[in-house]
This record gives sequence, structure tokens and C-alpha cells, in this order.
Amino acid sequence: MKSNLVRVLDGNIFVVSDDSGDIEATVGNPSGFFDFDTRFLSLWRLTLDGDRLHALSMAERDHVTLRFFLVPGAPTHYVDAKSSVIRERSITGGLFEERLTVLNHDREPVDFTVRLDVASDFAPIRAIDQERTPPGRFYQRIEDGRLRLGYLRDRYQRETLVWSSEPARIDERGLTYTVRVAPKQGWTTTLRAQSLVLRPDGRDIREQLDRRPRRSAAERQQDLAVWLDRAPQLSCDWNALTEAYRRSLVDLASLRYSPLTLPDRSMPNAGLPWGATITGRDSILTSFEALPVASELADATLRMLGIDQGTVLDDFRDEEPGKILREFRYSELAAFEERPESPYYGSADTTPLYVILLDEYERWTSDSGLVLEAEQETRAALEWIDEYGDILGDGYVRYQRRNEQTGLRNQGWKDSPEAICYADGRLAGPPVATCELQGYAYDAKLRGARLAREIWGDPAYAERLEREAAALRERFDRDFWIADRGYYALALDGDGRQVDALASNMGHLLWSGIVPPERAEQVAHHLLGPRLFSGWGVRTLAEGQARYNPLGYHLGAVWPFDNALIAWGLRRYGLVEEAGRIAEALVDASRYFHGRLPEAFAGYPRDLTRYPVCYPTANSPAAMATGAIFLLLRALLGLEPSGEHLLMAPSVPPRFGRVELLDVPGRWGRIDVIGIGLAGPRA
Amino acid sequence: MSDSIEAYFTQLAHRAPDRLLRRTAGTIRIELEGPGEVDVWYVTIAGGRVEVSRERRDADTVIRTDRDFFARMARGEAKPLTGWLRNDLIAEGRFRFLMLLEQLFPAPPGARHPRALAGGRGEPR
Repeated sequence: MKSNLVRVLDGNIFVVSDDSGDIEATVGNPSGFFDFDTRFLSLWRLTLDGDRLHALSMAERDHVTLRFFLVPGAPTHYVDAKSSVIRERSITGGLFEERLTVLNHDREPVDFTVRLDVASDFAPIRAIDQERTPPGRFYQRIEDGRLRLGYLRDRYQRETLVWSSEPARIDERGLTYTVRVAPKQGWTTTLRAQSLVLRPDGRDIREQLDRRPRRSAAERQQDLAVWLDRAPQLSCDWNALTEAYRRSLVDLASLRYSPLTLPDRSMPNAGLPWGATITGRDSILTSFEALPVASELADATLRMLGIDQGTVLDDFRDEEPGKILREFRYSELAAFEERPESPYYGSADTTPLYVILLDEYERWTSDSGLVLEAEQETRAALEWIDEYGDILGDGYVRYQRRNEQTGLRNQGWKDSPEAICYADGRLAGPPVATCELQGYAYDAKLRGARLAREIWGDPAYAERLEREAAALRERFDRDFWIADRGYYALALDGDGRQVDALASNMGHLLWSGIVPPERAEQVAHHLLGPRLFSGWGVRTLAEGQARYNPLGYHLGAVWPFDNALIAWGLRRYGLVEEAGRIAEALVDASRYFHGRLPEAFAGYPRDLTRYPVCYPTANSPAAMATGAIFLLLRALLGLEPSGEHLLMAPSVPPRFGRVELLDVPGRWGRIDVIGIGLAGPRA
Repeated sequence: MSDSIEAYFTQLAHRAPDRLLRRTAGTIRIELEGPGEVDVWYVTIAGGRVEVSRERRDADTVIRTDRDFFARMARGEAKPLTGWLRNDLIAEGRFRFLMLLEQLFPAPPGARHPRALAGGRGEPR
């Protein structure tokens, strides 16, 4: 897996390449030009007189444009280059556009042969890290100065069209230019690649639907400026926080995406390259994290997920009535039902999280209109918890896939196959009830009760939900608490046994409020103890557990979004010093990633590596990690909407110094929050 | 074949699926291609009710497919979304009605309640 990949993007259209701008996709190199969950270019390789080009530098200001400065030949001892190349690329109007300039630094005119090798494997994003033999037929055609690459399987058809502003010799494998460049002069051409999702009459299936035209790069740059201007302004004595905040705002802007179903609104997609699509969990949690800066993301997410809420029992999609989806894909694998993402509903957390987001959104914005509009969906979601989530009828939300071929074995946020295990390494048998799912269910019921009482005018329903929540809280503490270890079991397995691994999941319980106050300190003690806390954050699984691995995706790595929810939970229980430690560790880690928190980083102890090691195949940017900084800020400043006001109770570690978040929007209008981290003896 | 499609629409007008969202409102024009002819139906959804008509009216979304594929959807054996992705079905206008169309068709045959599955524990570990 290559790690030095760079990208330009517009929602679910994006280009990932190496730092010279070349795309040479392999199983270990997930680069390409992607749209609609499909790779439309897998080869895009530039040579000058047969020589590959190497990067001198690269300018990546935002995700709208990217500029590469290149010289021919291998980087050896420094030789004055007689020529150089600039590639400038963007996604504009839905097209991949690249402006190519060859500069002649010589005193004589020079003849150059510029060659661009072009190919596409039309691979579904889901399959780009696997060997796969596509069942369809590939074709290449040269027509009217354009290269047309295509893939046809039955009536399913995808094409990539490539053309150039300057005349080129086009063959089935690319474009060649022969140009003479005057001394000290340059030559420029603009290349464009268009993705086509065709129907039999040759039209793009998306163009026949009502939607806004894709915006140009210039419009998006303008939009980004407005977005940054409208967001609350942060200043902090610790520059690392300011940088991470700004980087996260820029990344979040770039991940916004208007689904076909909701063409006039933007929701966050989950991240690049694997998650550039509609997801349940990632969109909900990112929107939750971002409420203090961009509440409109929650509005779009709730509307979108409401429209696609499950309505029937469908084993292939693990769908049940009232369930909120996990993932939506448009790829070949979804089309031919080789994979279930059309959409797939295999996650047990999205449905309660949907209710939680709706309530929190209303508390920030006072938009009771959406709560009224979504009443039927929200009631169906609450109904799902008891009717379909409670698989064994014992009052706990559990999961067990009905799609045993392509469904997910684990359906909480830790959804890798081995994520839910005992301390000794045995895997939990289904149907599994992970602890955080019970916290979400508890919180969803209480929040649902508030909506029922205050907005739907149904106090009887509110009382019922509150009774159920209280019973769940009591039952949960009895069945999940491991008294002799002083922490909550990771899960109950299908036989009701405590799955006893020490894991980060219980941190979410603090966010949900299901933990009795007298237990909170013990939970915090574990979360920040040496087995779970790496020094850069809370690990997913504690050191010393049989399956612990610092590079285990859900078995040891540190996830920023997980930590942000934990910090917010600690804050909720008044454990401000602990919340501050997590916030400080993560902001510190962000310095090693130019302010961008990765989806996950390795769980090595801080004093072993000295810097946070990026997880090898993580999404970047990843929406939930991008949102983490906003929730961490909320935890530091103690922001909590209450009635028409925003309560604030800053508690900032000394390293941050003064933290000012100005113009925080909400039902109160806009308000400034200022916190000061004072040096001095710690409590 | 034509009988089963007619029966489907009759049934739809008679009893709207109860999972239909109350605030969904709009008209879908459904064009069914058969040998030598195109059969057109209008399905109007409002307030949780469904009206079926063959009289021309404005539509939010136009769906075009052949009679065989429509019959498969009407039995719950095929999905509008994946049909659209494979070009077994063409959609124009507002995409959300393609998604909502699913709510007018029955569940796939043989689907199980999660509790029914848990009755027979023991997925391989």
C-alpha cells in the first residue's frame, strides 16, 4: 500500500495519484480517477521523451486543485534540468481536468515527445484491493480526436472519454504529442477525462435525473471561501489546534456530497477512497461532531437516511423495517447483486444513532420542523430497537447477519470479523450485544421521549420510552459490569456470557449516559490507564488482550472519532482533566499529519515510536476523524445547548493557552466562547 | 402476464402498503414495454394512499422497463435500484421516487425475521 498518495475531489468524484501525478493502479496502490463507486482511470502516466518524471514539489492548498512541479529522470545527484513539467489538476464540472505545461529552460529550441499512457479497469471501489477478473468486455475506440474506453456487461455500460485541447496522436493506449518549444518558452495542453454511466440509448443515466449541474473548480473555490468564512473562528495559543481546526474545516467541505436522492442538499461522505458514498454511521457521527460548526450536514443526513429507511425484511441486505442503512453503492458489484450495498443495512448502531442525531440537531438549531417531518421515521427507528434489534427478547440490541455470504459478521462500528473477542482471544458467538449498542439504545429512548413530549405532543409515548430506558439502564449495569475487574464487558455473546476483553467501546457509554455516576471514575481510570491509553489516544483494544495488535484496525489502533466521543463522554461526567488529556494527545498527534487526523493510527506506546504511526490502509481524509476536532473542542469548552442558550464551561489544559471560538451558531444566534488553560498545579 | 400486472395495480390501488410514508407525495409514470406496445400506468402517492390511473397526468418520475422485469419486481424478486444500475429499468426525473418505488413492491420471498434466525444458533466461529 502506497502512503504518499495525493488527491483532488468533489464529493464522490476524485482522483488519487502518487506525488508526481501519475496513476498506476495495482492491488496495493488504490489510485485512480473515481466516480459513482467505480474507477474510470487506472493508468494515467506521463513521460517526456520516454523518461518518467519526478516531483520537485507539490502544492496542495485544498482539495479543489493540485499542482505538481516535475523534472525528467531519476532523482540522483543534482543536475540542472533543461526542461520541467507542471501538472495542474482539478475536478471541475464533474470532469477530471489536467493542465500540462512543458517548459524549455534551454537556450535552443527543443523537440519534445510528450506521452500519456491511459487505461481503465472500471473496477468497483470495493474491489480495488483484490485480484478480480471482470466478467464483462473491455473496448477502446478512437473517434473525433477523443479516446473512448469502455466496459460492457449485459446492458451495464461504463465509459471514460479522454480528449485534449492541443492536437495529439491518439492510439488505444494513450495520447502522444510531438512539440517544438522555443527557448525559455513553454507549451501547454489541457486534458479532460469524463466518466459516463450509460444506458442503452447512449445517454448518461444520471443526466436524465433532476439534479444540479456539477460545479466548476472556480465555483467550488468560492464556495470553500464562504464556508470557511461562515464557520466559527478559532484562535488558540497552541497553533496545532488552530491548524487542525482549519484543516478539518477544509476537509469536511470537500467531503460534502449531494446524493441523487437529495440533489439540493449536502451530506458528508465517509472518506477517501473506500468510503466516498452514502453511509449511515459515518454520516451520522460526522454530522453529530460537526453540529457546532455546520448543522446543515445533520439536516441533510437525517433527510437522506430517512428516505432510505428499511421497510421490509430482506435477508440479502440484512434489512428490517425501520432500520437505518449502513452503506449505499452504485458499483457493478451492487448492480449485479454480488454485494448487498443496494443499500446494505447490516449495522445495529445506525438506527439508534439516527434518533440521537435528530434530537441533538434540534437542541442546537430549534428546527422542530424537521422533527415533525421525521416523526414517522423516528418512531419506526425506535420501534426497530425493540422489535428487530432485540433479537433474543432479553432487552438488548444484538446483531446476527442473515446474509452469511457477503453480509458483515460484526455490525457495530468495530465491524471487522475478529473485532469482538474475549480477553483470551476467543471470538464472541452470535447474536452479539456489544456494550455501546446498549448505550445508544438507552440514549435514543430518552431523546425520543423528549421529542415525543416536547414536539410530537405524545406524553404517553414519552413516558413509555423513559420507563424502558430506566429498565435498560438497570439491567445493563447488572449484566455488563465485571465487578472484579472494574469495567464493562465488551459485549454479551449469544449465550448471554460476558465477553470480557478490555476495549474502548465502554468509553461511548459515558457519552450515552448509561453509566451510574459512581462507576464513571473506574471506567475513566481504565480508559486512561497504560493498557488502553497509548499516549496518543485510547486504543481500540487494550494491551495484554490476546488479540491486541498495535496495527489491528479494531484490535489496537487508535481512532480519533472514537477518542472524541470518549472525551465528550468523560466531560459529560465532569471528568474534565481526563477529557483534556485525550484532547491534548490527539491535537498533538495531528501535528504529525499536517493538521489532518487520519482515520486511525497505530496503537504503539508513545515512548516507543515518539510519533504517531499512520494506519496503513486508512481512509484519508476520513469524515469521522475530520469531525473529531470539533467534538474535542466542544469537550474542552464544555458546550451544551440548554433551552434557548448555549451553556459553556471551558476547562482547557495549560498547553492550549487561550482558546477562543467566536460566532458559534445555533438557536441562540451566534455566540463567542473563550477558555483559558492556566498553567499551575493540577487537581 | 398482462393479467398479473393488472392484478398488481388493482391490489395496489385497493390497499396501499402500510409502510408508505405519510408525507411522500408525487406521481410516477410507469411505461411497460411489451411486444409491439407500451402500456402506461400512473401511480399517485399522497397522504399514505395510492391512486392508480391510466389517464395522462404530470409525473415527478418516469420509469420505463419491460413487462417481464416489472412482473419480477411486483413479486419481490427484483429491485428497482439494482435494475436501474443494470439498465433493466430506466428512470427519469426525480430519483427519490425510484427509491420509494421499492415501498410499493413486496418483500423478497423467503426473508426471515432476525429472531427466527437466532432460534437456530451457531454460526461457525
